[in-house]
Amino acid sequence: MSDQTGAVFDLGYKPYEGTRLGRSGAIRAIIKDGMRRVMGIRRKARRKVYPWTLVAFAVLPAVVFVGLAFFLSTFSPDAESPFGGHAEYMGLTGAIVMLFFALAAPELLISDREEGVLSVYSSRPMTAWDYIAARAGALFAVVASFVLFPNILMYLGFAALDADGLGSALVGNLGDMGKVILTMTAYIVGYGAPALLISTYAKRTGPAAGIYLAIMFGSAGFAEAFQDVNFTGARYGTLLSFLQHPEVIRSWVFGQTQTAAPINAGFKPWASLLVIVLVAVLTVILMHRRYRDEL
Amino acid sequence: MEAPALAAHGLGYAYGDFVALHHLDLEVPPGRIGLVGANGAGKTTLIKLLLGILSPTVGSVQVLGIDPAKDLIKVRNRVGYMPEGDCLPLEQSAADFVSYAAELAGVPPRESRQRASDILTMVGLHEERFRYLGDFSTGMKQRAMLAQAIVHDPEIVFLDEPTAGLDPAGREEMLDLISRLGGFGINVLVSSHVLPDIERTCDWVVMLDGGQVLRNGPISGLTETGVVEIELLEDPTAVADELRRLGGSVELHGNSIYLASDDHDPFVLARDVLATSGVTLRRMGPRSTTLEDIFLGEAPSNE
Repeated sequence: MSDQTGAVFDLGYKPYEGTRLGRSGAIRAIIKDGMRRVMGIRRKARRKVYPWTLVAFAVLPAVVFVGLAFFLSTFSPDAESPFGGHAEYMGLTGAIVMLFFALAAPELLISDREEGVLSVYSSRPMTAWDYIAARAGALFAVVASFVLFPNILMYLGFAALDADGLGSALVGNLGDMGKVILTMTAYIVGYGAPALLISTYAKRTGPAAGIYLAIMFGSAGFAEAFQDVNFTGARYGTLLSFLQHPEVIRSWVFGQTQTAAPINAGFKPWASLLVIVLVAVLTVILMHRRYRDEL
Repeated sequence: MEAPALAAHGLGYAYGDFVALHHLDLEVPPGRIGLVGANGAGKTTLIKLLLGILSPTVGSVQVLGIDPAKDLIKVRNRVGYMPEGDCLPLEQSAADFVSYAAELAGVPPRESRQRASDILTMVGLHEERFRYLGDFSTGMKQRAMLAQAIVHDPEIVFLDEPTAGLDPAGREEMLDLISRLGGFGINVLVSSHVLPDIERTCDWVVMLDGGQVLRNGPISGLTETGVVEIELLEDPTAVADELRRLGGSVELHGNSIYLASDDHDPFVLARDVLATSGVTLRRMGPRSTTLEDIFLGEAPSNE
């Protein structure tokens, strides 16, 4: 038997005398937590299923397209990609972005209110503006990542296969990436703002997601109906098509044929841009109004 | 002189037409402060004003000498808050959430994880720190809420009804933890309507009733009555008469005499009379009152 003796010391409470990052540290913490939360990281397994499935749907086609393009190029080096380019791919990811917002925005905002966590934020070095900006920033950063990644993959992959060589293709196609970023911003703001607005006032995450999808799809149906009726001012109803405005911007940016209701009703694409901006501004104002007495 | 931990000058707050706080004037020194009052007395409103969540309708409030309406971030850099209701994300582990709470206060991520571990150990949740908060009992949740309130080492922490919903054992443990906070150099404001909890944990009390300050002072000063209680084994009438004759103010309660005197030390007066009376003394000592007696006796809302 050992003759060594030991002692247990209660170190008790130790004051913290290290660095304090203040407001910027708080904002960074909210962004990091928001990104983890919407992706289900450090949460129960069931919280990971929905976001990672959508991310897979957004990213995997690009991997397959680039892989197949490489495979086909071994048979015909000069063949065009049979899968379309960035414009078509953005059309696919636009739908995924909307579905992602449907659940991620309520998860970010409603959970904090429902579980009373806003009380914790209210005793930390931040304002209501900081909270809103950081939560929206987290959401937008995640969406931007999974929209940009496949497009970058395609940009690099197709450039590597280009007959003019990688370097000249990268330079020559750089404009496409600019268009991707513009379109992505339209999707993020156009689909994200209504999702945040609904989540700011809804009480439960499930119904909030349902309301958001109903409004997005319903507004498109509503706009299509207004496009076909024939009375004075009816065409303005097509501007309520929240689903179609980012699509209008995408077609505008990539110079594609426009088929959305607002365009068919005679509006120029900038009208869609204006609606997106107005909804975003309204969202910011109403969010601050909602949170200013709690933070 | 040390700056007051909390101060209010002509402070008023109204929710629309309902006036929650009426012209409060307060200066409270650092230490362990009790904020007592019935439900609806204005306790939570006062805490929200101190945190800068609400802005005063009239007047001003200061925390550690800083006005939150003028310098919100500076105040929030120095405070912690344990709210009355839940404030825990149920699908996050205690370690993750308390670490996040530290990061929110500006503590760098690596240090936050270490602080979270230390504080969870201190509040008795070391073994449970990797469990989801949704799986915690009420007592464990209250401790986790206290941990998030102090993990960043605030200068003052506001605890709103910290023993609400706890069973007797959990309540005892929570009161012990609160009592220890003062020793860590953290000023504490405990809001409660359970007056014995305040008597046990605090050395200063602010009593609110109907949005007004009823009392504001050290607990020891409030509970001392200046009255001596003398309990005899036999009829106290003769002793009481003699005490009155010598200038004492006397009340009889069964075999007990409550003695006060403006001119003499009541203990000396009692000693002199008892020494010559031949009666048998059972007990003699200062008669102190409780916060509950004071509150019930003075609160207009109890009339």
